[in-house]
Amino acid sequence: MAAQPAIEARQLRKTYTTTRGIFRRERVERAALRGVDLKIAPGELFGLLGPNGAGKTTMVKIFTTLLLPSSGSALVLGLDAVKEQWALRKRIGFVFGGERGLYWRLSGIDNLRYFADLYRIPPDVSRRRISELLERLDLSGRERDRVELYSRGMKQRLHLARGLLNDPEVLFLDEPTIGLDPVGARELRVIVRELADAGKTVFLTTHYMFEADAICDRIAVIRDGAIVAEGTPSSIKTVVRDQGIVEFEVVGMPVERLAGLRRLPGVTSVAISEHELAQVVTVHCARPAEVMTQLGVILDGVNLEKVSSREPTLEDAYVQLIGDSQ
Amino acid sequence: MRSLARASLSAFRVSLRLRVISTWSYLNWLVFPVLFAVVGLYVLSRPGAASSHVVYGVLGGGLIGYWSVAYLDGGNGIQEERWNGTLEQIFATPTRLWVILLGKITGGLLFGLLAFLPTAAIAYLGFHAVLPNLDPGRFAISLGILTFSFFCIALTLTPLFALWRWAFSMLNGFELGVYILCGFMFPVAVLAPWAQGVAALLAPTWAVRALYASTLSGGPRDFVVWWLATIGLSLAYLAGAYFLYALVERKARISGQLALA
Repeated sequence: MAAQPAIEARQLRKTYTTTRGIFRRERVERAALRGVDLKIAPGELFGLLGPNGAGKTTMVKIFTTLLLPSSGSALVLGLDAVKEQWALRKRIGFVFGGERGLYWRLSGIDNLRYFADLYRIPPDVSRRRISELLERLDLSGRERDRVELYSRGMKQRLHLARGLLNDPEVLFLDEPTIGLDPVGARELRVIVRELADAGKTVFLTTHYMFEADAICDRIAVIRDGAIVAEGTPSSIKTVVRDQGIVEFEVVGMPVERLAGLRRLPGVTSVAISEHELAQVVTVHCARPAEVMTQLGVILDGVNLEKVSSREPTLEDAYVQLIGDSQ
Repeated sequence: MRSLARASLSAFRVSLRLRVISTWSYLNWLVFPVLFAVVGLYVLSRPGAASSHVVYGVLGGGLIGYWSVAYLDGGNGIQEERWNGTLEQIFATPTRLWVILLGKITGGLLFGLLAFLPTAAIAYLGFHAVLPNLDPGRFAISLGILTFSFFCIALTLTPLFALWRWAFSMLNGFELGVYILCGFMFPVAVLAPWAQGVAALLAPTWAVRALYASTLSGGPRDFVVWWLATIGLSLAYLAGAYFLYALVERKARISGQLALA
């Protein structure tokens, strides 16, 4: 990474101060970021993964000049997000997930024209760019409809069009596919990948592991305001490299049988999720073949279905990384 | 500079469009002013009432509607942006917040002027109330200066609403307070002395006084003094607003209070 990073955080910290209590008010401090160091190269599609409240949105808001850090520095395109916000805002775009952030009672094109003026784009440039973006994001033909008549996917594409109005060199996307149907989310992921392929630096936060795995060049996992892992999706998976996953479905498994599973040699974790009337049991272990042979003994008499063994995914690595703290 | 003017003009156009399609704004510029005007004219037109006070019925409803729209554009307008999730979006653009709000508030003021049309129509058609002693020149100047004072108040209050959500809870109280203290529906002279002292610090009080005087033949006619008092106080508000906007741009970035969270 010899070139100047497109995005850089040095010992970035953010602490929110609030009060609690009615009569005896007490100041409470909550650390959202605890000394984050990060470097993202120009043209990279970088994914930030983490559970709710881990500090993802706080980091995006600092880089997009909406929040000031408590200490440390945040640089985007070499500009200080704290002191050089006016120069920086012209060169970055951002999209927050969800349906809010648009004027629902105005048409899509009116929303774009308004923000183009606020981004101080010359009228001839904005006319051409809005037309291109409407075409590219499949909103042509509906641009004069009020936004309230748009589907969620269309609203999200309009958000993206707004974020691209100033042709930003760096684009921040905070959970852009949240709430979208699978087809809409996939379409958006294709567009985001195309933007990165066209040379834009993209900083993406997401809950969806497969999304990060599919499109990101590099990812980081954030937990309680600190980065706990960083690298390519395949390098993150090495956290669980020596492990395999055994999954099976059961109906009404007694709790003591679970304890028996956990005691098996090489088993690192056992998780259960509900699936219709059955429970899906996921066993992380060092030697999947041995676990599978022991299943019949431990689950003797239990209605056992769909036993399978698979390679660990990014989600498994994420669960392991996040789970370590919980 | 040109791009800033275009940004402000765009905010002005959006403000007007949102007002035209908002049912709530019709309550403010049409329904409430007509209600106030009808009640005022009914009371002031009764036998025995001073004929000079009929002007309060004719103009009072319009003034209330005008103030409501202008004021709400500042206060409620910023809260609406927060509810829409657009406050952060506009704040993060390369255009300063006050430039955007300047356009929005001007749009609200233009829309607010509409409030005078239904009240004047009700006064003329329903109560045959006219303003026989109207001095059109002084009336127009007074209305222009009143508009300037509304503009300055809205521009000053808006950053407070952007910064402190608790300030928004005082919105209705301040709206009604100005009706009473600035003499929209009755002369300030009928208020308690302490209230007259507070009223003297409010710029619209002097412009409203000039506005009413321009419709009457008798009484004090210190127009220049009243106009200068309005302009002076309004400029003082603007000076305060200058510091408030700087404060907003910093404090909002520390607390993250632009989002609805």
